[in-house]
Amino acid sequence: MFAYEKRLQYPVKIKKTDPTAARLIISQYGGPDGELSASMRYLAQRYSMPVKKVGGLLTDIGVEELNHMEIICAMVYQLTRDLSEEDVKAAGFDAYYIDHTKALYPQAAAGVPFTALELQSKGDPFADLYEDLAAEQKARTVYDNLLRVIDDPDVRAPLKFLRAREIVHFQRFGEALEVTKERFEHSNFYFINPSFDHASKESRV
Amino acid sequence: MMTDQSMDPASHPLAMMSIPRQEWCEPYEWSTALEEGTIFPNLNLTFFKAPQGVPAKPPCSDTSDPGQKSREEALSRLTEISFALNDLTLYLDTHPACEHGLFLYHNLMEERLALLADYAKKYYPLTQASMITGNCNPQCYGWGDGPAPWEGACV
Repeated sequence: MFAYEKRLQYPVKIKKTDPTAARLIISQYGGPDGELSASMRYLAQRYSMPVKKVGGLLTDIGVEELNHMEIICAMVYQLTRDLSEEDVKAAGFDAYYIDHTKALYPQAAAGVPFTALELQSKGDPFADLYEDLAAEQKARTVYDNLLRVIDDPDVRAPLKFLRAREIVHFQRFGEALEVTKERFEHSNFYFINPSFDHASKESRV
Repeated sequence: MMTDQSMDPASHPLAMMSIPRQEWCEPYEWSTALEEGTIFPNLNLTFFKAPQGVPAKPPCSDTSDPGQKSREEALSRLTEISFALNDLTLYLDTHPACEHGLFLYHNLMEERLALLADYAKKYYPLTQASMITGNCNPQCYGWGDGPAPWEGACV
């Protein structure tokens, strides 16, 4: 179960209103490589992971992604909380404003709403771990792109933090892949699907 | 042609990726770790547009009120220690027998629990358990006290 702690994993204190930055950063809330899709991906995949330790890692990273989603939302909120009517018109925030005013809504930078089509839970440990490794790389690229175009140090500090987490998670999923490889047939990892063909009680411990 | 022994197909089968296991390294100071996004210097692979040490500090208010300042310092310390634990947890998930990691985990967790209790006692509870460990007044329901975390305040 999850329990709430009333603080952010990384502090967000943004002084300057900037709807343009908000419109870009919101992609890490509801976009294709965002924190919401990361969390849902890992928390969905853990049930069918044949190695218990890997299911544990997916749980811990899946929960950390929820913390990151909250950081992103706090950034979007603080960038737009003092928005005036003039700001709305000037900064290309008008389309979002029409549908959501200043509320938080999970969507990509280009306006596409969050969709589960952006993630996969395949039920094969190798297919799923490669998906997770790729997801961390794609999210890192989004943070690289945001760090190229955003100058405000109050906004850059949490973006830099979140980017670094993608690399740490990539390393951990790589180690999870190694742990999984150790458990199965080395001459041909693809001979069976260990999540399905080995789904006996003893393989789950 | 030279053969790279480390990529010998006997130990690294075809059509399967390999990634080296991270070795333990001396962690950063906890404030630097939070700033950089990892406690491990050997995993801090920066981007040229956001080099190490820049921006220098997580944003905090420039208050002159000493009460506010001590609240902010307490929350900063708790954030640093808790983040070190988050990063260490993922490390231990894949290195459960690492003595350095286990030792640090127990020390950091003790400090975190003490900081949570202290914060609840002096200001407001951040977790429901700290309403008890911080000896909060049982006549008051304190869970709603304090600012919402997304407000960016610490009042």
